[in-house]
Amino acid sequence: MNPQFKPKLHSGSTTGCDTSLLERQQARTKWQQNHAFFNGDDDDHHHHLQNMFNSMPLTQQQFSGLIDDHPRLDEVKPDPGMQERWPDFGGGVYGDQLGYGYMNQNTLVNQTFLQGNSGSVSVSVSPKKRKTDEGQSLQLVSEKEKRIKGCAEEGDSKITHQYSNCDNKSSNNSKEASTNTSSKEKSKVSEVQKPDYIHVRARRGQATDSHSLAERVRREKISERMKYLQDLVPGCNKITGKAGMLDEIINYVQSLQKQVEFLSMKLATVNPELDFNIDNVFMKEMFQSSTSEFPALGCSPETANSAYFQLSSLEQAVSCCGLDMGMNSTEMALRRSISVPTSVPGTFMDSSCFNQIQPTATWDADLQNLYKMEFEQGTLIPFQSHQFTGLNEGSNLKMEM
Amino acid sequence: MHTSSPLKKEFLKKWMEGLQICCSSKKQMNVLERKKKIKLSADIAMASAKKTPTSWSNALISYARRNEEYMILTDQLLGPESQFNLQKSTDRMIGFHKRVQCKKILKRRNTYSAGKRTKKKTGHPRLISATLIAKRLVKKRTKVLKRLVPGGESMDEFSLIKEALDYILSLKVQVDVMRSVVTATEILSNEKSLKSVE
Repeated sequence: MNPQFKPKLHSGSTTGCDTSLLERQQARTKWQQNHAFFNGDDDDHHHHLQNMFNSMPLTQQQFSGLIDDHPRLDEVKPDPGMQERWPDFGGGVYGDQLGYGYMNQNTLVNQTFLQGNSGSVSVSVSPKKRKTDEGQSLQLVSEKEKRIKGCAEEGDSKITHQYSNCDNKSSNNSKEASTNTSSKEKSKVSEVQKPDYIHVRARRGQATDSHSLAERVRREKISERMKYLQDLVPGCNKITGKAGMLDEIINYVQSLQKQVEFLSMKLATVNPELDFNIDNVFMKEMFQSSTSEFPALGCSPETANSAYFQLSSLEQAVSCCGLDMGMNSTEMALRRSISVPTSVPGTFMDSSCFNQIQPTATWDADLQNLYKMEFEQGTLIPFQSHQFTGLNEGSNLKMEM
Repeated sequence: MHTSSPLKKEFLKKWMEGLQICCSSKKQMNVLERKKKIKLSADIAMASAKKTPTSWSNALISYARRNEEYMILTDQLLGPESQFNLQKSTDRMIGFHKRVQCKKILKRRNTYSAGKRTKKKTGHPRLISATLIAKRLVKKRTKVLKRLVPGGESMDEFSLIKEALDYILSLKVQVDVMRSVVTATEILSNEKSLKSVE
């Protein structure tokens, strides 16, 4: 049995989650056919699982027993005792079985799971001990699960994070409900020889069907990424569903792209010759200074005052332009005409208003407001909401870079 | 802002280079053309300013290069040594795209055949319909996101989100830098006008 698996394990070794599911499914189904499910076994028995599931991470319940403070990769060795034990369990499925083979605090889990940027997730499990005797195994396992859940907190924060997330997600999935019919099966997690495998253990009451497991892996990976996106996209903290998150992301990307368009148009109008040589020097100074106060950089002292004045109105103008200007356009136009006596702003205003009004029409009203607020807060931190009412002092203005 | 300033510097530098290349070519351009050039050079600068080339940056560059007009600009901007990387990356992308499509076909076939053997869904009908609706929504939105993120069509959902993350970061950088440049030019132009008035 054991030599049977080794070739399978090796053959299935590829670059992680991108490997074809087919190979893994084949290996799994073959294993399942050949071997019965077994209970927790006697302890003091080194147990190396041979089962290799599809690329799925263990869920929190599964991993909680396996997370250790010092995970490390162990060599996979076929469990000599396992061969003896297989016949003990018979070929049947236990009636009230758990989804795990064992839970043991001594088992080690190497979690290279969430570390790679390539997206290939791998977890290697090198369990060391089997569980205790069968009679109490079920209860013990469940107890230990709960205990171990507590110490799972010491584990990698990402992983626990992800597990709680996947708990939420998986509880919503109807597929798991549908697979209850075949759910009362145990499954084991096998060791990994190369760090590309993802070993999953089906949770209690879960199906060990390869498809559902694969689905779960996918879902958990995605939910993990969603977490990162939540930090990045403003206003995503309250939204938990995948669809809502995606919606936020889409809107944010769209708004950023529109901003880029708008700013490039603005630049095109403001700077007729595309001559940016002066700006080079200016920009370098800007970047080099720590505070990056606009008026302080590159402006000679005699023009500082006028620059302040203009800067304030300009900054306001810029901030206005960045936001939806439907209501403020007339006010803006007035200001600009006062401060900058050129004809460029006029045309610019029209184009900028036009640019802004178009995208806003496509957004939902709520999201639009949300983004206005977020945009204000995130990007124009120094500008208060009352900026339109009066000219700010130049010294108070800081353009955060 | 928590975005990195070295990235900003890099982006700005490249952008200025690109703009100088642009304005050296033609003398008279109307507003729209100028805007296009500005935006294009900004995009390319952003894509090339990344240290580790990601999928979307390569996609951006490859899209830019496909257009005859802009090819010269992009090549000049990126430099000669990066052209080799681009070739490789575009080839890789095409190959990857095909691979992804094949995988999708395989998956679809498998799920279709597996669907015949699967058990009936025993959940509550309302729950099932809700999840179906949710799935549909998610699918719709991933499609939209794929269209938004450059090079996103040939990616599975998981890496799409990663690319979107990255893309959002660079877009933020781009917006910041552009805005500051805009205000700087405005200040300068105002100064000039004031001086001329005086």
